[in-house]
Amino acid sequence: MPNLSPLSDDPGLILRDASFALSGRVILSGLDLHLTERRIGIIGRNGSGKTTFLRLLAGLIAPSTGSVTVGGVDPAKDRKAMLGLLGILFQNPDHQIIFPTVGEELAFGLRQQGLDKAAALAKTRALLHAHGRAHWEAEPVTALSQGQRHFLCLLSVLAMGPRTILLDEPFAGLDLPTQARLTRSLADLPQRLITITHDPAALQGYDRVIWLEAGRLRADGRVDAVVPAFTAEMARLGEADADTDLAL
Amino acid sequence: MEKNVAYIALFAALIAVLGLVPQITLATGVPITAQSLGVMLCGTVLGARRGFLAVLLFVALVALGLPLLSGGRGGLGVFSSPTVGFVIGFPVAAFVAGLVVEKWRVGLGIASFAGAILGGVLVLYLFGITGMAVVLGKSWPAASLLVGAYIPGDLIKAGMAGFITQGLARLRPHAVLSRG
Amino acid sequence: MLTLTSPFETPLHRLPAGLKLAALALASIGLMAMQSLWALGVAGVAVVCLYLAFGRGFAGYGLRLLRPLWPFVLIIALWHGWTGEFAAGGIIAGRLLLAVALANLVTMTTRLEDMMTLVERLARPLARFGLSPRVLAVAVALVVRFTPVLMDKAGQLMQAWRARSARRVNWRIVLPISLMALDEADHVAEAIRARGGLSGP
Repeated sequence: MPNLSPLSDDPGLILRDASFALSGRVILSGLDLHLTERRIGIIGRNGSGKTTFLRLLAGLIAPSTGSVTVGGVDPAKDRKAMLGLLGILFQNPDHQIIFPTVGEELAFGLRQQGLDKAAALAKTRALLHAHGRAHWEAEPVTALSQGQRHFLCLLSVLAMGPRTILLDEPFAGLDLPTQARLTRSLADLPQRLITITHDPAALQGYDRVIWLEAGRLRADGRVDAVVPAFTAEMARLGEADADTDLAL
Repeated sequence: MEKNVAYIALFAALIAVLGLVPQITLATGVPITAQSLGVMLCGTVLGARRGFLAVLLFVALVALGLPLLSGGRGGLGVFSSPTVGFVIGFPVAAFVAGLVVEKWRVGLGIASFAGAILGGVLVLYLFGITGMAVVLGKSWPAASLLVGAYIPGDLIKAGMAGFITQGLARLRPHAVLSRG
Repeated sequence: MLTLTSPFETPLHRLPAGLKLAALALASIGLMAMQSLWALGVAGVAVVCLYLAFGRGFAGYGLRLLRPLWPFVLIIALWHGWTGEFAAGGIIAGRLLLAVALANLVTMTTRLEDMMTLVERLARPLARFGLSPRVLAVAVALVVRFTPVLMDKAGQLMQAWRARSARRVNWRIVLPISLMALDEADHVAEAIRARGGLSGP
């Protein structure tokens, strides 16, 4: 098992023979992983189970068999303990934003962590100020562009200070300048990032890549070992008519 | 808990949105909106308790000043106007509709249709006509004359509530909480 | 934003919401007790002056909010014109218009946050029955956030309908709109769960 640059002393994310099935259909099976690196990429085709894998790590769903622990805690059981350990950025920001204004959206997670109204407000303002977006506080979230909403979601995860952040295709639907800005913001983060992506280039500087295929582990290792094999396989499938199988 | 809150809030929003779906004009020339269909669906889809709370949340927000009633009406003025009885009766209508679906274990479509008629038409008009009689200072039969023209439209909506609830159960079985 | 609060700032905006609601309750009871056209006429002039005192734009906005009442005023006019009880008709119509105008005045001059603060305070005793004021606040925020989102998506569905159909949008659109609300509710529940859920302290 590769272990390139472990993140301080924390026990990381551990899956033991984890599987997930929904109404009889197996989506993930037999996953044994110990994730400790700072930058981990998840690749795979559409319907390979990447998003379900991320939701399993985040504790939004519980494994059907086997176990998942994050920092020694079961993420599906102890939601409150998870808040400081792990945050997740959904693929679609509109599925993540709960509140009508930027300030309320940011303050929600902080209040969930036990801060009172005034403290949450103060921390929200400080965060917006630190990112040069103090003027956003009272804005309705609908006034933000897609890229700005994505950034708001990232800010609201960062506000809670988790040690690990899960990202589900953070660049989907963003224009190139926005992608570049977001890449920069992400690269500077001290947290552990676990990122789903379709773009092999986005994995530059990553410590480890996991390739899922039909809900199973196809490959797991360093970027220079996994990504070329993945790219070659995708090119091969692109030649064939590979789009006829129903994913659902 | 968060699932209940999310369903209740989104159905409160759904009632508002259905108030804006283009009006349908009946053969009798009476325009109807889908808003009371939204109230029926709260009961038939979410069940008595959650349906009641969803509609109560909607009515409370109307009172607080959100323009969520069909035609963009809202605010405290609604509770002084002749249609006050309908607005107050909305949560009770959803409750009764939901109760019928929960207790009467026939096909979901039939139960929803019956619930929508009992809650969304009978109970709702009891409240609505009483409110109108009080505000306009008229007798109960006179007030019922004023709203009688709308009853055929609401019977049609009860039929739609049956079809739609059944359709939702087919497409999202986990989401129809009234039979959960 | 989604609200009926008047964009014209008035001194009434600064009064506490609880005070305005109490005053409205008293005024409404007073209106119900008024039995003469004269008294109602005086009250009517007072209300019109109150609106005009905050500017013509404000008064015009207030007048527009009374528009949904015209069918009822027409019904009263026809009814009492036919029975000949003109005074009784005038009293009923006057009370109706004034009661609604006063209630609208409170709505127009009270921000949603102020109303919510009041509701949260009044709802505090309900915590004993399991309704936490925080859950209530989240539910309200969700409706404010997702009503425009659903409206927007319903609009897109109707456009998609028109793009492929020569017939007008009909009631069959309600099923996909409801389906969208259900799916959106699932996403919201998950988003709240991702940030700690709502149960517990």
